Amino acid sequence: MKRICILMALTALLSACSRGPEPILYGRDACAHCKMTIMDKRFAAEIVTGKGKVYKFDSAECMADFLKDNAGLASNDKTMFLVSYYDRPGTFENATNSVYLQDAAMHSPMGGNVGVFTSEASARSFGKDTDAKIYNWAELLRSR
Amino acid sequence: MLKFTIGPSCSGQDRINQMKSLSLKICFLLLIPVAAWGRTIVVAPHTAVSSLKQAVGQAKKGDTIIVRQGTYVSVNTIIDKALTVLGQGKPVLDARYQDEVVTITANNVTFDGFVIQNSRTGSMRDFAGIRLSKVQNVTVSNNTLLNNFFGIYLSDCDSIRVLNNHLSGSNNLENSGNGIHLWKCKYVLISGNYVTHHRDGIYFEFAKKSTIRNNLSERNIRYGLHFMFSDDDTYIHNTFRNNGSGVAVMYTRRIKMLGNTFTQNWGGSIYGLLLKEISDAQIEGNQFIRNTTGIYMENTERITVAKNEFKSNGWAIRVLASCYDDHFTDNNFEGNSFDATTNGSLKENYFANNYWDKYEGYDLNKDGIGDVPYRPISLYAQIIEQNPQSVMLMRSFIVNLMDKVERAIPSVTPETVKDDKPMMKPWKR
Repeated sequence: MKRICILMALTALLSACSRGPEPILYGRDACAHCKMTIMDKRFAAEIVTGKGKVYKFDSAECMADFLKDNAGLASNDKTMFLVSYYDRPGTFENATNSVYLQDAAMHSPMGGNVGVFTSEASARSFGKDTDAKIYNWAELLRSR
Repeated sequence: MLKFTIGPSCSGQDRINQMKSLSLKICFLLLIPVAAWGRTIVVAPHTAVSSLKQAVGQAKKGDTIIVRQGTYVSVNTIIDKALTVLGQGKPVLDARYQDEVVTITANNVTFDGFVIQNSRTGSMRDFAGIRLSKVQNVTVSNNTLLNNFFGIYLSDCDSIRVLNNHLSGSNNLENSGNGIHLWKCKYVLISGNYVTHHRDGIYFEFAKKSTIRNNLSERNIRYGLHFMFSDDDTYIHNTFRNNGSGVAVMYTRRIKMLGNTFTQNWGGSIYGLLLKEISDAQIEGNQFIRNTTGIYMENTERITVAKNEFKSNGWAIRVLASCYDDHFTDNNFEGNSFDATTNGSLKENYFANNYWDKYEGYDLNKDGIGDVPYRPISLYAQIIEQNPQSVMLMRSFIVNLMDKVERAIPSVTPETVKDDKPMMKPWKR
């Protein structure tokens, strides 16, 4: 009995302390920036702050716009930035070393036409336009 | 004798000649419209022409194709000629989840009376039941679309009519497209349609100068109607019921929203009408009944909200501090938990001549207008804004007491938000 009590106390403590990404409830959760309900698994993104607060976004461009308004979060080393890859919907990957393709073929929810990829090669393979642009994380933030 | 007999027979011959030339003329006259109408090709199961694709291949510009009752496999049938395509007895076109069902790529097409079902789904492309691509003057009417990824998909189109269609999507939370989807279109009329179980019932992106009239959009996963970057559109006499969220109007200018009903949109961050970054809109004669939030406004400019009815909502209107020069006049606020809230100090937003059922003032000069101003933002609403958990104290004695004191001596609620001319009686249409 005592052991169970300790175990329960421990799990309660651990769950309270854990800082990490939260799954997005598609069709339920609203984007923290544009207020739209998040639906498209190809474009969703998430920020986990140093204190464990989670912001969910319907697209990488919304996350970038949100960071423009909240510069403190962008410069904080403890903040986690997560994105879904266009060709691997529903996954969470580190945003800071991902590749961003701006191309008309990317019908992202906010009209920014930005898709996220693991490498420049895979991004290029999805590009359609001759004037498609490829950004890294820092360039994406600057472009908004 | 002979003379007598020849005479009339001669004149008879003349008459026959006359009639011949007349009937020739009539025939000639008849021929012209026949040529303009074109031929009629009939498609029926187990006949020489047993598919729409075959019929389109045989047809010439201006022909009519009649498809008889039956079920036909239609893996992306392309209509690339100006044809009138009519379904008789609701024939079924089924893509069997392999591709789109029908694509229209020619101007002046009429497509009427079909059941369109089972388009392919998938995240890489927007597969649709009926796709219209780069066309003008096309009518899509009286069709039933079942279980398609996107329903009717218009891209780069001009002067299109989408009339009296019935669309029912897959209701798949994670993988469903919009019912009627417009991208880069203008002058589109969407009227008398019913849309359900899609992502957004009707979706406008870069769609201008279009009209949405008399549609019913219910139980869609995200929005009943959704505008993105679409200017100068009007939606009038539509009903948006029990959608994920009612209607979202975002990043647009000059939208007219008239006589619509927004109802039963319940849940956290769910709104009857969501306005974000819009300007010069007119919201008039609408009903907002039983929504968590009737209207949510963020970054709006010069919006007129007049003659609307707000009944039994959690929050009737929620106006963020980023809104300015918005006018709220002649509206009825009845049975809402909160009439208005904001997250800061509201400036340059005007309230006048509204009816508020919570108004406790008096009208000594009997002109129908209350003699003391009404402040729609209650102290308790401000407290909930700071501390959402305090909602559990709702309707308690202490909350009522606080609100009464605040009404008498305003200190916390925004000074500028008040209706100087509150009506004593509700406005009637």
